[in-house]
Amino acid sequence: MGEVILTMEGIDKSFPGVRALDQVSLEVRKGEVHALMGENGAGKSTLMKVLTGIYTKDAGKITYENKEVVFASPKAAQEAGVMIVHQELNMLNHLTVAQNIYIGREKMSGKLIHDKAMNKAAAALFQRLNIEIDPTETMGNLTVGKQQMCEIAKAISHDSKVIVFDEPTAALTESEIKELFKIIRDLRAKDIGIVYISHRMDEIKEITDRVTVLRDGAYVGTIDTEEATKEDIIQMMVGRVIYEEPKSKSNVAKDAPVVLEVKNLNAGRMVQNVSFRLHKGEILGFSGLMGAGRTETARVIFGADKMDSGEVFVNGQKVVIRSPQDAVRNGIGYLSEDRKRYGIVVAKTVAENTTMASLENFMAGLFINKKKEAQVAEEYVEKLKTKTPGVEQFVVNLSGGNQQKVVVAKWLVRNCDILIFDEPTRGIDVGAKSEIYHLMNELVKQGKSIIMISSEMSEVLRMSDRIVIMCEGRKTGEMDISEATQENIMHAATRRE
Amino acid sequence: MKKKLVVALLSLTLVGTLLMGCGGNGGDTTTDDTTTETADNGGDDGAADADTNDAPAGGGENIQIVSKGFQHQFWQAVLQGAEEAAEELGVTINFVGPNSESDIADQVQMFQNAINQHPAAIGLAALDTEALLDGIAQAQAEGIPIIGFDSGVPDAPAGSILANASTDNYAAGQLAANEGWNAGIRDRVVNANGSVRIGVLSQDATSESIINRGLGFIDQIATLVEAEGLTVSITGNTRYVNDSAVEETGEGGDVIIEVLVPSQVTNELSAIDMQTLLNKEDTIVIYGSNQHSGEAMVTGNATIQRLGVGADDVLGIAFDSGATIKQAIRDQLFMGAVTQAPVAMGQAVVQLAVAAARGETVSDVDTGAQWYTADTIDNPEIYQNLYD
Amino acid sequence: MGAGVKKGNAFTNNPIVKTVGTQKIVVIGVIIFLAIFFSWMSPAFRQYSTVVSIFDFSYYVSLMAIGVTFPLITGGVDLSIGTGMVAAGLFAGNLVNQQNLPVGLALLVCILFGVALGCLNAFSVAKLNLPPFIATLSSMMIARGLGSILVGGMSVTWPAGATEQGWFRSIFRLDANGTLIPVGFILILALVIVMSVFLNHSRPGRYIISVGSNKEAARLSGIHVAKWHALAYIISGFFTGLAGVAYAATFQGIVPGTGAGLELDAIAGVIIGGTSMKGGYGTIGGTLLGVFVMSLLKTGLPFIGLQANWQQIITGIVLIIAVFIDVTRNAKK
Repeated sequence: MGEVILTMEGIDKSFPGVRALDQVSLEVRKGEVHALMGENGAGKSTLMKVLTGIYTKDAGKITYENKEVVFASPKAAQEAGVMIVHQELNMLNHLTVAQNIYIGREKMSGKLIHDKAMNKAAAALFQRLNIEIDPTETMGNLTVGKQQMCEIAKAISHDSKVIVFDEPTAALTESEIKELFKIIRDLRAKDIGIVYISHRMDEIKEITDRVTVLRDGAYVGTIDTEEATKEDIIQMMVGRVIYEEPKSKSNVAKDAPVVLEVKNLNAGRMVQNVSFRLHKGEILGFSGLMGAGRTETARVIFGADKMDSGEVFVNGQKVVIRSPQDAVRNGIGYLSEDRKRYGIVVAKTVAENTTMASLENFMAGLFINKKKEAQVAEEYVEKLKTKTPGVEQFVVNLSGGNQQKVVVAKWLVRNCDILIFDEPTRGIDVGAKSEIYHLMNELVKQGKSIIMISSEMSEVLRMSDRIVIMCEGRKTGEMDISEATQENIMHAATRRE
Repeated sequence: MKKKLVVALLSLTLVGTLLMGCGGNGGDTTTDDTTTETADNGGDDGAADADTNDAPAGGGENIQIVSKGFQHQFWQAVLQGAEEAAEELGVTINFVGPNSESDIADQVQMFQNAINQHPAAIGLAALDTEALLDGIAQAQAEGIPIIGFDSGVPDAPAGSILANASTDNYAAGQLAANEGWNAGIRDRVVNANGSVRIGVLSQDATSESIINRGLGFIDQIATLVEAEGLTVSITGNTRYVNDSAVEETGEGGDVIIEVLVPSQVTNELSAIDMQTLLNKEDTIVIYGSNQHSGEAMVTGNATIQRLGVGADDVLGIAFDSGATIKQAIRDQLFMGAVTQAPVAMGQAVVQLAVAAARGETVSDVDTGAQWYTADTIDNPEIYQNLYD
Repeated sequence: MGAGVKKGNAFTNNPIVKTVGTQKIVVIGVIIFLAIFFSWMSPAFRQYSTVVSIFDFSYYVSLMAIGVTFPLITGGVDLSIGTGMVAAGLFAGNLVNQQNLPVGLALLVCILFGVALGCLNAFSVAKLNLPPFIATLSSMMIARGLGSILVGGMSVTWPAGATEQGWFRSIFRLDANGTLIPVGFILILALVIVMSVFLNHSRPGRYIISVGSNKEAARLSGIHVAKWHALAYIISGFFTGLAGVAYAATFQGIVPGTGAGLELDAIAGVIIGGTSMKGGYGTIGGTLLGVFVMSLLKTGLPFIGLQANWQQIITGIVLIIAVFIDVTRNAKK
């Protein structure tokens, strides 16, 4: 670790009615990877937005390269060498990789854009970073992981001295994460200061040097990563100790009735001949790498995408599911991995989202019985411990974990017995995560059955009674939790046929 | 599923109706098929490929008539007159026009189609002369005579239009002024305490025929007022203010003439213009220079109710006819109106076209205009020129 | 950050402002301001007949606007309402004049014509998945041409008020011994209330909002989105037909080939009333208020001597301000 390159001291930022940052400090040294942690809503993103000039701070001081600075805009920050790699990808899908990387600072030949020069420069950049991407490829054709790599390459190409990574691994596969870490170590060796925002504790331990923790907009403390245990960090974040051991054996009797059976399901390239059974009261984990076809399988079962062939049985009865309506009618609910796009109607209230799938039960003649709607919504807010000021609150104002709970409530109100959780804790902070886990355990105790698609190994091992593993659209493994280990899951997840 | 089916069926029905409609008469209106047949029989001795310009003097020539469209029933009356003349003279006519008077490009296309059929002559009521210049030159080069009608082809190159069958719109406007003056405007002007206002409603300030009707009225009123030793001033639309013979602008005259033109031709905006005039205390007369403006006068008056022929009423003068205007005349909501002679115009354009095609010398025909009131509306010489 | 709950300021927290909505309060303020301003500038404006006129000329736009609020809430648009209204009025009026159809039936035909047009739009948008702009641009052209063809290209005048068949004109303006009563306004108010309740308190209404807010999330909640998406356009068509009735009752000659551009007046009113062009949010009451701002400007500006083209400019400026408010509101979200 070298000398200090960036300090933020006593930063205050308020929005109408909310104190988002309260006397927050952060110090970044040259050649260090500095983790910034905290639950969603703790103020990490706000702090970074203050740093890069998206927000104006109310009070406090930012010192960069020994001078007090105020960046007026992200562009000004970029030009000074402070760059942020956003969690949401800001890519123009119709342009090529190279065009994306050099957008806004195109290499010119006279009055015309010099695409060749940009392709060459991008290729050189990728080579330096050991990334295998064709600069002339259209961005939209790349996987999310590769797009993320491009975003990182773009940041690096700016000759940045400080790079902020905002949850960079959320969409990456294991091997891509390895590549990313190699790049980050490489950058660290070049004396670049790195701020690393992530919820994944393993990564924090693996890649970072120091950790600064925020809670509810306030600064909690900074510690050296080596000296801290996972539990220390979690405790700093949530102010309480939480830890759950992996499940060692299935909680479901072998002869529990089968509530859902899928036989020889086919749908395009991503779902090939998939068969499995889900028992009553069971959490069936779906493990695999990105692009293994798990989400696709779930969407076909739910009727969101078209089925080519195959049979679905619910409680032993063969059912035809052609649309989500059919699935819902058969008691299947689906919680999408992308809540904002597929799960909730953001501009509507908690109550409206809660009753969305079962509005017919809330009618008084031709009219919606809003009183009953609010009552039921409140009941589920209490049951699921959803943190919201009230059921008339717009869901867009809730944190990811609480949005997830609203989606769960929607299906519970609909009385769905089979719930498909697709990446239930993606983008959700540690505290809320354990609440979601607790909720899922409660649900199966009540006799619901759950399919849980998850890319987090620890989550799969902790929650599942049984595990189905997929690779490239096929089922490549199925095991009881008692037999499952990280190794044999990974083995099945990479078994190409 | 059932509801879906109903939606689909309804949509299909609508599309079906549309297609049948298209098949029916292809979007543009209409030609007289009976005369076409006579012409075919009569023209059999001339080979089909013979240049129609050289058709025998005995008849059978093909005359193309490009009008401004059929939105106003006025044009139906012109068509009727044209068909009568065609039958009489033993020629075929093809009478076309765009969907609306703003579809200039459509008219250019129709004019081009007319030329391409190598007719013996073309009758043309131009929406925009400028846009038709190429076609006019081509017709001239091919020796196809062009006869203007209605508002004719204003500012066409010298010699390109052999003759016009049209209403002298300026004279028609003067007629409205003279008749209105004698029937009550004079009394109101002469006996007024202070200044009085005469409103002119104009559909637009681009059509030559409408402008001339307005200017004829304005100039004549000014002459009559000045003959009484009073002063006149004009205000409102710039084009009218500049082109009228009235020197003084603004609100200074004993008689103020105010000309209003809406920003777009919609029923609502013209009716609001009418109300603007009616809402001014000193307004004594309002003149609407075509069917659209006349109807807007009725609409605008519906809530304010100042029009009439009584001593305290605002006098209304309209132009042309149509069910609404005829009713307003009968009810004495309007004191009177000027009608053109569309049937005569239709006859004249075909007569002139045939004469020109046969090499005879032709000259302009003023097809005339008549003043009518509740008392004279049913006279046959008037009534034949009125339409619904 | 997301977890924080926006508290707003003293104005937006006022209970009345909260129930009615900020933008509507602003629009009501604008209406009051304009009314006072015009009355102050021009004595002639302060007449009962002016009020009746403003109402009179607002009916057809109001009806179109109420209808088109629904496609706009789904995030689409319906451009066919202007020419559709004229075509419906032409077709039904022609049946009265040429086939001696009783006026009562003709009004029904007029409305059904609008519904049929709405069904065509619904089919293109919800079933064929065409972009609403293109789908309704096409039906706008179709309606324009069809209207002309169905009546042989001639203008159509519905029976005059004084005649036996002209009773329908008093649906909107009743002449009670010389006093004009704008009953149409009561009718419109009733429709606004009915459609507001429909939008906010019925399942179809809520599903239509859901389609505009997040179509995919609605679909994955087991909602038959195509059906409700289609319904929005059929409602728009129904009101197009109603607007045709109002148009025929208010004005004299209906001229084929016209009507294009009138839809934009209605859409502008909806936007001024606070409905979001992005969909997912809108109110019928706001729409009526928005149309009123436009009508007030159109009728009021001539009283202060601003003619024709000035009305267009000022209306344009008002629209920019309204959309700006919409954009700012979205930015806050």
